[in-house]
Amino acid sequence: MVRFLIPSVAVLLFLLEPEFAMLSPIEVKGQIFYLVPRFLILYLIFISIYYSRQRAVMYGLFFGVLYDVFYIDIIGLYSVLYPLICFLAGSIVKIIHQHLVVTTTISVVLVAILEFVLYQFFYLIDFTTIPLTDFLRSRLLPTIIANTLFLMILGWAFKYLINARVLQRAREVS
Amino acid sequence: MPHFFFNKKLILLLVGMVFLVALISFSLRDRTNATLPEQIIKDTVGVAQSIVAKPANYITGIFNDIDSLLNTYEENKRLKARLEEFAAVQTEALALKKENDKLNELLDKKESLKAFNPIQATVIARNPDQWEEKIILNKGSSHGVEKNMAVMTAKGLVGKITLVTPFTSEVELLYTNNPNYRVSAMVLGEKEAYGLIEGFDEERNELIMKRIDSSLTVKEGEQVVSSGLGGIFPKGVPIGEITEVSTDDFGLTKMAYVKPSADFSILEHVVIAKRSTTMIDGSDGKATNEDLSNPPEANKEEAE
Repeated sequence: MVRFLIPSVAVLLFLLEPEFAMLSPIEVKGQIFYLVPRFLILYLIFISIYYSRQRAVMYGLFFGVLYDVFYIDIIGLYSVLYPLICFLAGSIVKIIHQHLVVTTTISVVLVAILEFVLYQFFYLIDFTTIPLTDFLRSRLLPTIIANTLFLMILGWAFKYLINARVLQRAREVS
Repeated sequence: MPHFFFNKKLILLLVGMVFLVALISFSLRDRTNATLPEQIIKDTVGVAQSIVAKPANYITGIFNDIDSLLNTYEENKRLKARLEEFAAVQTEALALKKENDKLNELLDKKESLKAFNPIQATVIARNPDQWEEKIILNKGSSHGVEKNMAVMTAKGLVGKITLVTPFTSEVELLYTNNPNYRVSAMVLGEKEAYGLIEGFDEERNELIMKRIDSSLTVKEGEQVVSSGLGGIFPKGVPIGEITEVSTDDFGLTKMAYVKPSADFSILEHVVIAKRSTTMIDGSDGKATNEDLSNPPEANKEEAE
């Protein structure tokens, strides 16, 4: 049961992202803030940290391709960035402690890096013309806050689910 | 042989990079159609997405209902005040419509730029990373949707269809920086002024209407509607209201900021409009370079 739960949660998060994206942008006192839901990559980072780096990279590649084809129409953007982020997360965690607070911070920092790289790419190909300061204020900061909130609410559940799978696998092996 | 292994990895990496750049540049080209694997992925994800979208739309619907319930009293007061006015306007509109039909009949004019066949559609997804303003609808080519059709809500114009697969279609919203995305529009002032909606101001979050003849007066608060002259959008679809008028970069024509009438942040149900009379060429059409204003028959006659 737990075996199938991990990919199905990933699929669910993938499908929920655009639904949450419909709530954005929000307008507060005449200022526009974009909240970009990055639930899936946060979940994949958690898989990479607590379960298996290789598995996470594979999921990252699969969902990256889906993301590229369905939403972006530029193939090769998310399908590279998602596995790369998962790989980075899995590599970083070998050096440091796996406490939930630490992993949450790493995940948020990685999402910020992802967001920044995407901004640079879209700026390069003229999809967007907003200057860097505007990007930091109206996109990066609100996105980080929203995703941190999301992780604070559901991070422990991810960890719980992944740990259950790890235990199950350990039992199967022994 | 660790040295050889390292080299192999390096070569793999290089090949990967080349492949990646090739893929990105392939998909960045102006493509008119999705390739078959893309279509399959789009349709599969689209079907799954529309299943998830239903409960999500339902929940947002409840929140909207609560929101409108809170404003009921104020709204009711306002509406009552306008109700008497409305009856008079309606009878007038009916009379005008009849008269218009009769006059059209007299002139033997059957085609109109205003006429369109509506297709109802539901928004199933919005591009989550929000760099390119794009939404995905649950109707595709099997429902009769084609590229370049106008997409609107009850309040006004939203965008146009850019890509169609059998069961989904993609809409590029008016909020775009694409320089090739222009909408021919007119200002409903004392005298109709024509211009083009070109791009939007990211700081003000408003559309920019350019190339308005500087001899015409355009005032704040006047309505902007589509003119139907661009060949894609039906005539008379509301776009927005003018908030500021200034001259453009070279001082030759006027420029206006237009606050869009459609609410772009929460789009749920939209109408895809297939215009009855379409005549497009160039990058939006088949790019045949045919001279549309002088039909070939006319030219031949002249030659003879």
